[in-house]
Amino acid sequence: MSHAAVDHPILDPLLAPPFPKAVLPVLRNPQLRKNVAHAIDVIQTKRARLVTEKSDWQQLRTAASAVRAHVLENLAAYLEQFEARCTAAGGTVHWAANADEARRIILDILRQENASEVIKIKTMTSAEIQLNPYLESGGVSVFETDLAEIILQLGEEEPSHIVVPALHINRSQVREIFARRMGLHDLSDDPHALTAAARTYLRQKFLKIPTAISGANFLIAETGGVAIVESEGNGRMCLTLPQTMITLAGIEKVLPRFQDLEVMLQVLARSATGERMNPYTSLWTGVTPGDGPQRFHVVLLDNGRSAILAKAKERQTLKCIRCAACMNACPVYRQTGGHAYGSVYPGPIGAILTPQLMQMQHAQSLPYASSLCGACFEVCPVKINIPEVLLELRSQVVNQERRHLGRFFDPMYLGLRVANLLFSNAWLFHVAQSLGRMGASFFTRKDGWIHSLPSVGGKWTQTRDLRGLPGQTFHEWWAARAKEAK
Amino acid sequence: MTASVDSRERILDRIRSATQSVALEPAQLASAYAALPRTYIHSGALSAAARVELLVERLREYDAEVVECTPEQLPASIAAQLAASGKRTFVVPPELPPAWHVPGFNFMIDRGLAHSEIEQAEGVVTAAFCAVADSGTIVLHHSSAEGRRVITLLPDWHLCILYASQVVETFPEYFHRSPQPPELVTWISGPSATADIEMTRIKGVHGPRFLHVILVHD
Repeated sequence: MSHAAVDHPILDPLLAPPFPKAVLPVLRNPQLRKNVAHAIDVIQTKRARLVTEKSDWQQLRTAASAVRAHVLENLAAYLEQFEARCTAAGGTVHWAANADEARRIILDILRQENASEVIKIKTMTSAEIQLNPYLESGGVSVFETDLAEIILQLGEEEPSHIVVPALHINRSQVREIFARRMGLHDLSDDPHALTAAARTYLRQKFLKIPTAISGANFLIAETGGVAIVESEGNGRMCLTLPQTMITLAGIEKVLPRFQDLEVMLQVLARSATGERMNPYTSLWTGVTPGDGPQRFHVVLLDNGRSAILAKAKERQTLKCIRCAACMNACPVYRQTGGHAYGSVYPGPIGAILTPQLMQMQHAQSLPYASSLCGACFEVCPVKINIPEVLLELRSQVVNQERRHLGRFFDPMYLGLRVANLLFSNAWLFHVAQSLGRMGASFFTRKDGWIHSLPSVGGKWTQTRDLRGLPGQTFHEWWAARAKEAK
Repeated sequence: MTASVDSRERILDRIRSATQSVALEPAQLASAYAALPRTYIHSGALSAAARVELLVERLREYDAEVVECTPEQLPASIAAQLAASGKRTFVVPPELPPAWHVPGFNFMIDRGLAHSEIEQAEGVVTAAFCAVADSGTIVLHHSSAEGRRVITLLPDWHLCILYASQVVETFPEYFHRSPQPPELVTWISGPSATADIEMTRIKGVHGPRFLHVILVHD
């Protein structure tokens, strides 16, 4: 099977290779690229239709952006309010400074519950902290319940998108995974049959396993409520049937009031899946006697977020509501899919979020994984100016690098320092131009293009051609023209 | 957990120092919130009839079955829907209007039924808090006429009875209808669905696969 030939992607930013390297196996895999492009095209077409139909779309974006910015600026106050209300409603709120602490808190709760099995609603935050392998090694069997997550879990695959994480896997590949792991050898590759197989596989787990883990789309400070947006009903199963519910949420997920959902729910589904509304959205508040889990825990996760908050330009990264519209719109993501980003957060939002969550110590190639075309900013329902943050991060990467002693004689930085000198002096610039023309003529082919350059120039020409320098500069042409006129 | 208590202070301190130049005093927070731009559409412009028509159209797009009737026809309409389903046993919330318990079917009244008992029911009949026409959304606040969350989840077939007076046009109109934020809400927009395999929309993964709505013109 062609998919198995792909090098297994690494989504841990500490270990993942840089983007230009990680992308190579994908670019060599036509099936994978076809699967990604198909899925993206379907969502993009639906989204465009439903956004056009909404005459107040820009006003909704403005409101959504303003609410999210207001929350982030006053995050401490809203988190404390959420904690107080959630506690008053019967929930227990935990705070985790980093991934390790969040994992330990969750495993401790599971141990107190004597839980040897747990069912899960899809949560990218749990993938961020690599929760599943930790729980498994702590003796807890984890069952993902979202269809895409089951495909990934049973197929030992990695997510490549934050809303449709298995979009890189096609129906025949799903059939192969289900047939092998569920022992259903007569299964057809009809998506109806595959979905029915998942329904049967999970039904007993929903009814029997009394402990569940979820993420959160929104936390409501005013009430202590938690909202989950989903399609399949696996979310409702996990947050209704078990006795104990554990919700893992990034600290940035708060909204001030219940009423803010009137904006967020209108923009989220349209942006994420191109639907007017997703089939199911659930909101619950602490513990309701006789209805749903009777023990409820919220784990609030920092894990690098508060450091992002400190920087005025980068703070907007945390406005994200994880709709994935930016990756669907991104010309780079469309070609590469998600794995090349080396993180559970791919696409444009991943390119700015991942390096920042890593305190700019890892994933430094990601801010360059963009053409800066701005399509991501245009579709973002909370108006995150992703190109602005990309440029800011690029400048941070450069500043870090050039302070590094070993980089002083790096051909690129050497070249840039020389360029700086040349561009600041007209006489030097003209001399360099004549020399450059002579030099470039060695590499310019008969067709007038430079196809390959040595040394650092090769970084440019390995993926693009460069037009050869013209025989005359504008200055020379202008001077010659003036002479002729006389 | 002491570690967690320390982390609480540590995280809140980090957040406070990160936002100290922009965070507002508690007294100013409410007015700053009230001043946030909300220039999107709040109230719809459709007539009552057009509003209901839009809801029906949206529900049908989601593959929900919709029938309309007058208040007098309601019991007969419920009976017709239940009969057409081919099912016999339905779970119902404790305060479903008695007139809706039409004869000829088994109704299991949910006064704390076990999940395994609800799982035996073939369908469920409930009221709703309201419905939003623009997005085709049925809103349950899980009152005793709408039922606990589990009863509209496990059975494969859901019949929901809505009055035209409960239909609003826009999402913000629904939020204006709920002055006190509810503790429990389920917003249902069509039957359970997935598009996880090649973006092909498949109806019915885990929630009810069949959603039927009776719209009562009151």
